Formats: sequence, C-alpha cells, structure tokens
Amino acid sequence: MLTHIAGGRIIDPANQRDAQGDVWIRDGRIVDAPNAGADATYDATGKIVMAGAIDIHSHIAGWNVNTARLLLPEYHSAAIARPSEPLSRKGWPALETGRLYATMGFTTVVEPAVSPHYALHAHLELGDTPIIDKATLVVLGNDNYLLQLLHDNESDAAIEDYVAWTLDMSRSLGIKVVNAGGALAFKDNMRAFSFDDVVPAYGVTSRRIVKALQGAVNRLGVPHPLHVHCNNLGLAGNFETALTTIAAAEELPLHLTHLQFYGYGKEGERKFSSAAPQLAEAVNGKTNVTIDVGQVMFGQTVTISADVLRQFNARTHARPKKWLILDGDANGAGIVPYDYRRKDFYNAVQWATGLELFLLINDSWRVFFTTDHPNGAPFTSYPDIFALLMSRDLRARWIAELPPEAMAVTTLPSITREYSLYEIATMTRAAPAKLLGLTERGHLGKGAVADVVVYDDLSDRAQMFRAAALVFKDGDLVVRDGRVVNDRWGRALAVSPKRDRAINRRMKDYYEERYGLSDEFLKVPDYALQRPEPFEFVLCR
Amino acid sequence: MERAWILGRPATLDAAVAEAGKLIAASTNVLIAGLGTDVAGARAAIALAQRTGAVVDHMYSEAVLRNLDVMRSSGVLMTTPTECHARADTLLLVGPLRGAARDQLLRHVIGNGPAKQSASRRIIWLCPGRDLLPLAETMAAMPVGREIGDLPVLLATLRAQVADRPIAKTSTASKMLHQVAANLKETRFGTAIWSGAELDPLVIEMLCGLVDDLNATTRFSSLPLAPDADAIGVMHVCGWMTGFPMRTSFGRGFSQHDPWLFDGHRLVASGEVDCVVWISAYGHEAPPWRKAPPTIALTAQEVAFDLPAQVHITVGTPGIDHSAVQYFAATGTLAAFEATRPSETISVAAAIERIAAATPERGAQ
Repeated sequence: MLTHIAGGRIIDPANQRDAQGDVWIRDGRIVDAPNAGADATYDATGKIVMAGAIDIHSHIAGWNVNTARLLLPEYHSAAIARPSEPLSRKGWPALETGRLYATMGFTTVVEPAVSPHYALHAHLELGDTPIIDKATLVVLGNDNYLLQLLHDNESDAAIEDYVAWTLDMSRSLGIKVVNAGGALAFKDNMRAFSFDDVVPAYGVTSRRIVKALQGAVNRLGVPHPLHVHCNNLGLAGNFETALTTIAAAEELPLHLTHLQFYGYGKEGERKFSSAAPQLAEAVNGKTNVTIDVGQVMFGQTVTISADVLRQFNARTHARPKKWLILDGDANGAGIVPYDYRRKDFYNAVQWATGLELFLLINDSWRVFFTTDHPNGAPFTSYPDIFALLMSRDLRARWIAELPPEAMAVTTLPSITREYSLYEIATMTRAAPAKLLGLTERGHLGKGAVADVVVYDDLSDRAQMFRAAALVFKDGDLVVRDGRVVNDRWGRALAVSPKRDRAINRRMKDYYEERYGLSDEFLKVPDYALQRPEPFEFVLCR
Repeated sequence: MERAWILGRPATLDAAVAEAGKLIAASTNVLIAGLGTDVAGARAAIALAQRTGAVVDHMYSEAVLRNLDVMRSSGVLMTTPTECHARADTLLLVGPLRGAARDQLLRHVIGNGPAKQSASRRIIWLCPGRDLLPLAETMAAMPVGREIGDLPVLLATLRAQVADRPIAKTSTASKMLHQVAANLKETRFGTAIWSGAELDPLVIEMLCGLVDDLNATTRFSSLPLAPDADAIGVMHVCGWMTGFPMRTSFGRGFSQHDPWLFDGHRLVASGEVDCVVWISAYGHEAPPWRKAPPTIALTAQEVAFDLPAQVHITVGTPGIDHSAVQYFAATGTLAAFEATRPSETISVAAAIERIAAATPERGAQ
C-alpha cells in the first residue's frame, strides 16, 4: 500500500523543513518519493502537514485515573442533563481518550504516574485505548526498597539493577519521582516535606533520592531523563524549591514536570504571585534541564496525583467537596476534584504563570506542552492553549476578563511573543520524540513511523488543532475531517535496560519477606493484554 | 470438555451459542448479571451490552456501591492490604466480617503480616456480633459493643470522643469508649477495616469521617474488604470502559449509570427485562431470584442452577482452567494468574464473544 499526501506545507523541525512538498507512506513508514504511482492520494494543498503529536505527560490510565472516574460520575456526559464542562462533554472512558487524542492529531501519549503494583492495571486500560500508541513512566522514590538501599549506602550498581528491574517488570519507558520521600514521610505523620528534609524511617533526604535516581537512569542509558515532580507543589514561594532542584541537576539531564505548579512567589497583597520569570531564567541558563508546563485552564476538572501528601493537604479545597486519598504501597495517590475559576485570584495567577513559562523559556526544544491532564485542565483544552500561545491579541482579550489584581502580579500582559507553527511543531513533535528517545517518531523523514497529521490552515488556530483534516497512524487513515474512521489498536512503548539477573532473586526474597507474597503479581504478561502486539521496545543508549 | 444444554437437554456448544444469539436478538431489554468473571470476561460482557443496549450488573454490586456511594459523596482515606499488613500498628475492625471479607482479612491482612508488626499490633473490633466473639478472641482483638445494630450510635459516640466533644449516655460504657478513642489517637498508622456487604452507607460515612478526624493528629487510613466473584475487578473494567461502575445501561445508545434503575434484582422483579445472561465463573453463586425471564447461564461446573435456563453453558474458572487477570485480594490490585489446571473448558470471554458473533447487530448506536 503506497499513500501519497500531496502538496501540503510540511513543517518538520527535526529535519529543519518548512516547505511545500509531498509525504509518501509505504507499509506504515515514511518513504522517499517512489517511481510507482500511489494506491491512495490525498490532496493537502493549502494545508499544514506535521508528524503525529506526542504528549509526554497526561494521566489517562491506571488505578488513580479509574478511581477518579468512579469518584465523579456526574462529569460523564451521560450523567448530567446538559453536558457543559470539558470532561463531561468529551467523556472519559479509555475508548474516548484514544479517539479524542487522535482527532487532535496526537498519536503517542505518555501516562506518567504508574505505581509498580498497578502496572498491569495501567496497561490493561492503555490496551483498551484505541488508535494512539502509549507509554508509562513508573514511579519510584517513595518505595521502601530504594530507601533501604540508600540507607544502607548500597552501591550505584545495586540501585541501577533495581531501577532496571522495575522498568522491566512494569513495562515502562522511564522513571518518575513524585515528591521524593514525601509520601513515606507522610506515613510517619510529617505534613510538609522539602528537598533537604529527611525521611524519618530511613534518614535519607529528598535530594539524595532524586540524585540517586537521576544517576541510575542516566547510567542505564534510559533515553528519557529522570522525570521529577518536585516537593511543595502548589505552595506560595515554592519557586525556590524548583530553583533548588534545577541547581541540583548539576550537569546531568533532568526533566521537571508541570513547572507551572512551582511557579509561585510571595509578592503582592495576597502573598501569592507568579515567579515564572525567575524559573524561566534558570531554565534558559541550564541546557541539560527540560521542563513541561502543566498549563491551567478555567473550568471543572479533577486533580489526580501520586503526591499523596500534597493531595491530602489540598483535600479541604476540593470542589465539589469529595476526595480520595490512598496511602499506597509506595507513593499512593490523591484524587481531588477542582474547579478553576476565572474570577478566582489564585486560579488566574496560575493561568498566567503557565503561559509566562511557555513564552519566557526561549528554547522550544526544552519546554514541553502539557496541562498535566487532567490536573491543570483536560487534554481537550489543548487547542485553546495553542491558540493563546500563537496570538498576543487573543491573550489580551482573555487578560481583560481576569481579575486585574491577579494580572498585576504576573508579567504576562507585557509579553508580546507569539509561537509560530514551526515552534508548535517543535514543542509537540520533534522535541518530545528526542526527549523520550523515540528516534522513529516526531518527524517525517525517511524511515519514520508513518504517524502523519494534516490540518486545515485556519485562522482560528483552536479549531484547526481541535479537528485534524486527516490523521494517519502507522500509515492507516484513522481520522478524516475531525472524525475517527478507524479504531485500530496501538502499542505501549517500553525500555528493558540490561541488569544483573541476581536482582530477580533479591526482589523475590524482598517480596516474600516484606509482604509474605511472591512478586509474580507485579508481572505484565503479554497474554493478559489480549492485543496482537501490546509492546514495542525502545533501545537504551 | 465444555458441556452445554438447551432447555435442560444436552447440546453441542455450537448449538447452545446459536440459541443464545437468537434469544438475545429476539429480546428487547437484556440484563447481563452475575458477572462473576475475570477482566477478559467482563470486557466481553460489557462489549456485548454496548452492542445490544443491555444493562450490566454484578451479583455483589450492593457491597461495592455502598462504599462507592460514600466515596462519591464525601471524602475517603484508603490504604492497600499490603501496606496495611506491613505498616498498621492498629486495626479497627468494624461490624461482623463474614465470607470473602473475613477470608481476605485473615489470610492477607492478619495472617501475612510480618511477625514484628503482628506482635505489637492492637486490634479493636467494633460490634463483631455475638457469634464472632470466639474469632475475636483468637485474634487477640478487643471487642467493643455487641450487635451490628449498636454500631451507628457507638461510632458516633467514638467520633465525638476522638474530637473531644461531650457525649450522652450510651449502651456501651463511656469509659471504655474513652479508652478506645485514646487508643486510636495514640496510633502511629491505623487502619479501619469493614465489609461493604454488612454496613449501612451512613455508618460507612461516619466511619470515614472518624478516620479523617484522626488524621488531625496522627495517621489513620481504611481498607474496605473486597466482595467475592471478582467484584472489584469487574468494577474497574466497567470504570474504564464506560466511565461508571456496574449498574450501567446502554439502552439509550450510550452508558448511563443508576444504582436503582439498573439494579438487576429490581429489573427482574418488575419484569422490565425479557432476557437475562447470568455469569458465574467462580462457582457457588446462582441467581438470587425465584422467577426469571428466559435465561442464558454461563456458570462454573459446580453451580447448582435451580432455575430452568434456556441455554446453559459450562465455563472454566479463571486462573484455574485458563490464565486470567483478576482482582487479587492480597494486594488490592489487578494481577495475572496462570492457569493452575489448564483445561479445554471455554472461558467466559470466549463464550460471550461467540454468542456476540451469533447475535445480529442492533440497538441505538
């Protein structure tokens, strides 16, 4: 099968390309222009052609997400008389998640917070999420085994073996750490936890946990650097925690996630302000650090986080007033519904802080597009955020509707930068592929996986990004005129770094000793997923 | 080998599947109930419901929904069985714990706990019921209050005591409750444990409120014990496939959840459904109703099936006859289990997929 996408404006930053041209697809891959005629030709004249977009951080599957569904039946389209809010309008079963992402031109999505014990659960849901390819990040850093290794001053090799074992057992693409040590400290009744605080039971600091994991991930050659959810999320003055963490990266790669939630100073009458300029300056000066934003948009949503300490403290702010806190086997979880309101001073500052980070960090290869779905906003709001980034006039119209006292503690009104389509393509295609080590994705060069999106070049950028004209997944047409035409099944991307096999025996013994159980229950066997090709392995360096 | 019957007479599997497909196609409102099956079986059953506009319910929905109703109307702190037995220094058992719940408690929470924790662990049991007093004794649990009827007042009093509020006279000695409240507050990491099958939602809500209050000064969490027949596994599958737990209908072409409207018992009793698919792959559970519309039964071999079924197919037991993913009570997670005695007996998933293939498409979608 030879497919020809003819005459579009091809924006392919990975190959430094922005020109009119053709894309050819054969057997699910991008190929050079062949001599033969195409089996199918799609006219893309006057349209925009990009690789499929990649979302590096979106909570779309697993125990936490599913429990949020069960906590909030009223946000499902069928449960309310007149659906109005994004989650309800879009629905959120696994099936809808895959379809809605595909409709916007996203073809790979990373679920970033899977606890090792729930890895199979997450993969089952991802297996039922159609069209897109998926990956998971597995969460370490509040697990007793790692803390014991650090307490005992075990070797780097012992930590690497454990990290590699965890990645392999859970079929994950990378490692995330969430408020390192904070969940364990909370179990011992600590109510606040910073980067240099000590986990009581182990005498180990958050800093030490982060550094140990950062080093192990790097030495194992896992392409995606350690993905860090810092301490003190959401608190006024927490930009200093982020600055400290950025400095602690030293010269090794480190990814800080949903930085917006750490972008708060203590200026102004209410002692709450945007500190995005300081964070942007730090990121601009540190080329080994990458960040994603976690943009806030207004409306009802639900916050889903493995930061159990933060969510416990946030439960009193739940809108509506209900919540679930899980003291899990390692990190646990907290699910707290929240309604970001335009008229709320704090929410307006949060909205502005995120946009400032997008606009003040000058390297679109190092700032990633996320809303921390659904924590800042549901992923269905992405098109509106693209539009805001691309138009200072549109931003000015929004700013005019927001509390002036909130805008006064941010620099957003003074920022004139507008993202180009090329920068949007960099941030959502080329850069994520590079960050995750997906060499065959995020670009339209020869040999790439044929995930290709054609957008109408509309002046209404939100509408353009909301409903792609054409989407091809592995060369198959899956979306036409913003409608799904083919619910095919995707794969989950994973790494399997080399390790000393002795770790298998050590972990077996550990589970026997701590829980009186075999570690078999952690496995994610192919047969359990009932999909033709559930996994695709990504090579380590 | 699989065995199948049509109207009580032995039939081939092919004939039984074809008959089931015909029956579903000829029905207006189908109820898929029982739903005692693994993840693959639940996925197949929900997919069939989506195709045919049917209702899905589970035989232990009541117990699941009581806990869920509290969660989705207030706040809940929870922990896992593994974390509970590795960490909890106090267990607050609430109400009589019978059946699957007791099994989970004894095998996975109490029995498996590391020796050092078990030795120093305090167990308080609120209203165990007279018949369970000997069990309380073997666990070295301190019983407080007697019958389950005393529980609402006892819990309310205890919650007031914990919050240092004045209390009125109750049937349980206030001195004892004062002591229990003090014990709970000096806990380092406690866990309240109950079975949704036995407690009223208001009692569960009071208990969850007590747990939250205790976190003002110490750490306390809770562990609702899981019903049998993979109820929690099925709940999760329903969640990610439909956005809702069980008692969900596809009658209008999309998923709709209503714990009263789509209660299988009510639907059968009121005659609102004209066909029932009863699934019970783990054995023992037969439909609780006396009179039912035409029924397609997919059951494990041992099930004594009193009601005459139009079509009856013997299915394998998940994790025994075939490998399966199901809720694992030891860990509180979904886990994969390889078949312990692999057999040719058809799985629920395979049986339903064959029935679906034999059912002509229709419905609102």
